[in-house]
Amino acid sequence: MQISMVKKIKADGSPCRKCQEVEDRLKAAGLTDRIDKVIIADERDPESEGMNLAALHKVDRAPFFIVEEEGKAPRIYTIYMRFLKEVLNTEVSEEEQLRDILDAAPDIDYI
Amino acid sequence: MFSLDTGRLHAETYRFIEQVRNHYKISIDVLSPDKDALEKFVREKGLYSFYQDGHKECCGIRKVVPLRNKLATLDAWITGQRKDQSPGTRADVPVVEKDMAFSTADHVLIKFNPLSYWSSAQVWQYIRENDVPFNELHNRGFISIGCEPCTRPVLPNQHEREGRWWWEEATMKECGLHAGNLQQKAG
Ligand code: SF4
Repeated sequence: MQISMVKKIKADGSPCRKCQEVEDRLKAAGLTDRIDKVIIADERDPESEGMNLAALHKVDRAPFFIVEEEGKAPRIYTIYMRFLKEVLNTEVSEEEQLRDILDAAPDIDYI
Repeated sequence: MFSLDTGRLHAETYRFIEQVRNHYKISIDVLSPDKDALEKFVREKGLYSFYQDGHKECCGIRKVVPLRNKLATLDAWITGQRKDQSPGTRADVPVVEKDMAFSTADHVLIKFNPLSYWSSAQVWQYIRENDVPFNELHNRGFISIGCEPCTRPVLPNQHEREGRWWWEEATMKECGLHAGNLQQKAG
């Protein structure tokens, strides 16, 4: 299994707050080693690898995770807590899961 | 058809749900939050905690859990989301998409957004021409209507999203990948 994390550099050159937060949480949980590759989606450069991958997988949020396994279609996770639970088999609280769903898909709370 | 009853909607919205039920002669599942989770939340944090620490915890309990539970029983759902409702935060609202928020490893959920490319003006034209019921709050300057404590009317030329969670606006757009770039790539 190959796990890539795509994180964003904002149009003004600063790092994305949510990406930093997710990286900190991975580090605190001792899970950094499970990420094989960190890829940058640089909003200033539409040709950056991360921006290309976001377009390819039709993802409009950051960060997101790409999980590749031989013989299977890549799986994309935009919700960090779901990634933790389903890929890294880590226990996550209900509150954290809900917060992450809203962070990753803010439009759902306009429904 | 289903609708989410957060328990904090305007009286006008409850009347509107009834109006839709009667007009189309359809049954509507009105989904409520989990009673125990809601009681615990209100006991601990009161009824207006979202003004202090943001709307996500309250929305999580009152909207996301009932929605997630309902969607777990479905293969697809249809929303009225439109591209022009988001001030630059989304790359796209595809007409058909895999629902990234609610699909799981063993349950793929498809989401249809048939109004994605409609403008607000087109929606209102359709409403008038076809005698479609609408929430009476629209006549009083409300554009995007959610829960009563978190919704306010907007002024002409203000974006409709400025009428929702206005006190925490700055933090809400953080995680989007800039729309222009992605649209360019996708096109
Ligand atoms: S919109 Fe406001 S009242 Fe309604 S669920 Fe969200 S935070 Fe709670």
